[in-house]
Amino acid sequence: MIIEVRDVTKTFQATAALDRVSLRVETGELLALLGPSGCGKTTLLRIIAGLEVPDPGSGKVLFNGEDVTGTATGRRKVGFVFQHYALFRHMTVFENIAFGLRVRSRATRPRKPVIESRVRELLRLIQMENLAQRFPRQLSGGQRQRVALARALAVEPRLLLLDEPFGSLDARVRQELRRWLRRLHDEIHLTSLFVTHDQEEALELADRVVVMNEGRIVQIGTPDEVFHRPATEFVMTFLGNVNFFPGIVSDGSVLLMPAAEGHATGRYYVRPHDFDLSLAPGPGSLSATVVRVHSAGPQVRVELRCPGKESFLAEISQEQSRSLELKAGRNVHVFAREVRAFPVDGGAVHA
Amino acid sequence: MSSDRFRSVVATEPLVLRVALTVVALAFLGLFLLLPLAVVFGEALRRGVTAYFEAVSHPETWAAVKLTLLAAALAVPLNTAFGLCAAWAVAKFEFRGKSVLMALIDLPFTVSPVVAGLMFVLVFGLQGWLGPWLDRHDLHVVFAVPGIVLATVFVTFPFVARELIPLMQVQGREEEEAAVVLGAGPLQVFWRVTLPNIKWALLYGVILSNARAFGEFGAVSVVSGHIRGQTNTMTLHVENLYNEYNFVAAFAVASLLACVALVTLVAKSLVEAVEGFTRRSGSVRGGRSSA
Repeated sequence: MIIEVRDVTKTFQATAALDRVSLRVETGELLALLGPSGCGKTTLLRIIAGLEVPDPGSGKVLFNGEDVTGTATGRRKVGFVFQHYALFRHMTVFENIAFGLRVRSRATRPRKPVIESRVRELLRLIQMENLAQRFPRQLSGGQRQRVALARALAVEPRLLLLDEPFGSLDARVRQELRRWLRRLHDEIHLTSLFVTHDQEEALELADRVVVMNEGRIVQIGTPDEVFHRPATEFVMTFLGNVNFFPGIVSDGSVLLMPAAEGHATGRYYVRPHDFDLSLAPGPGSLSATVVRVHSAGPQVRVELRCPGKESFLAEISQEQSRSLELKAGRNVHVFAREVRAFPVDGGAVHA
Repeated sequence: MSSDRFRSVVATEPLVLRVALTVVALAFLGLFLLLPLAVVFGEALRRGVTAYFEAVSHPETWAAVKLTLLAAALAVPLNTAFGLCAAWAVAKFEFRGKSVLMALIDLPFTVSPVVAGLMFVLVFGLQGWLGPWLDRHDLHVVFAVPGIVLATVFVTFPFVARELIPLMQVQGREEEEAAVVLGAGPLQVFWRVTLPNIKWALLYGVILSNARAFGEFGAVSVVSGHIRGQTNTMTLHVENLYNEYNFVAAFAVASLLACVALVTLVAKSLVEAVEGFTRRSGSVRGGRSSA
């Protein structure tokens, strides 16, 4: 189903949670709404579900071209997975999943055996056939998450909305469930939106990422696009680590000389993995001192400092680190392979 | 973690002190709770079982019992309904004047019952605001059964709401929202999600407010007019009998009230036990559960 959000504004007690937001989600897409807390991403999700209404006269929500702005939540046929799952605590797993079918009006309610087989099918899908009679409090976080998902899917929604689906799980379970959800999405191709503040999660899971900040959409693109071609400084700094060099850089070629007098002024960012380190100076290189070396991990992170400047971070491979014999106090020369420049008035300039 | 291990660390007071504190506590309990209870039953049965049953089955006593039952039977359901609505509104929605509503709910706790009774006399009495109008239409509130019911409703007003509000605030709105997204209508949400989640607290509130309805004296005393066989509740009847030096009858009726209190205590502990059991049964697996 195609979801369109047009010009939606939402104000809570004089603060704008959403400021003229427009968005189009294509059929079968898995879309991430990414942003820091308070950026309006959950509000947007709740407006699409119908749990919040846009400010009067501000905008519309359309499902397949049909205006649903005034349609009651229950009639929108959406599945919603809440951040803390919101499982019915007094019902078993089975009853939780069956709920959406049981509350239907008599005319549209499936017959008992049909409901039962549908629930069994979903239990198989979430690999919890043996736990049908458990209560939510008897389940682990990951299991609750899967029950919440099955409950949402039971009503055969046209759209699946997930609010911070992995937010309250520990790291290992989160990884597992993330991959499981991606596989599930590839199987059933249900148009899905999920909210997250975790950039890694958004980049790994989503077909497209919507980056939000302060109630507005800053950039929409594939994970590659938003990571490699950030539209604004905010996107650049929010996705992954960056080093910030204010103001001064040398001309045209890819050089970085924070300490030197330069021509162009602007704001410059380099990701840690875009640095090369060498013992010999070269064209455009920068002399720096190693402050600290963190080598536990797949990459070696090196904290460097140019005389009289803030320290910055470079990431190099383990072999390179060994061959350079890096340790604190050593002098090295730094090359930046890629520098991203943002003029002071916004917009990206590829340096 | 066993509680024994905690005790050995925390309780380091010498044995003498511990024994002394326990004795003081038990003595206090005996003196102010158990002894009066024993006296009530002792005095009631002093002239034997026959005298006791004679006192209890006296028509005026029966009238008092019936009136008390009627007042409770009206006040408790009314306040249950009201308490549910108020708790729902306070716990699940944000609106202006919420703190005022909270304060109003607590009002019957803070106002002396006698003042409350007086309030009703001033509003509904012959010299009161609505008195002349009521009199013209031949409606009697003060010194009649409606006044007693009103006074009982007033003093039992906060119990259910007070019991439900904190629980519903902790539970939040997410489960209701989930039900709505799944297509449940407002009534289905209430019966299938909201009510099952609060049923024990609700029952607890009902028991407390019932106990209060039976035991109320001050407010009812002011609005009753003490008309025997008509506007005498059990508590008022006990006072009347006592003032007439009819001690056996007074204590016999008092013993009925004491029985109500004992039943209430048992019911309350049962509810607590069942609630505790349903909450505990089944351990939570996995380290980090959702908040």
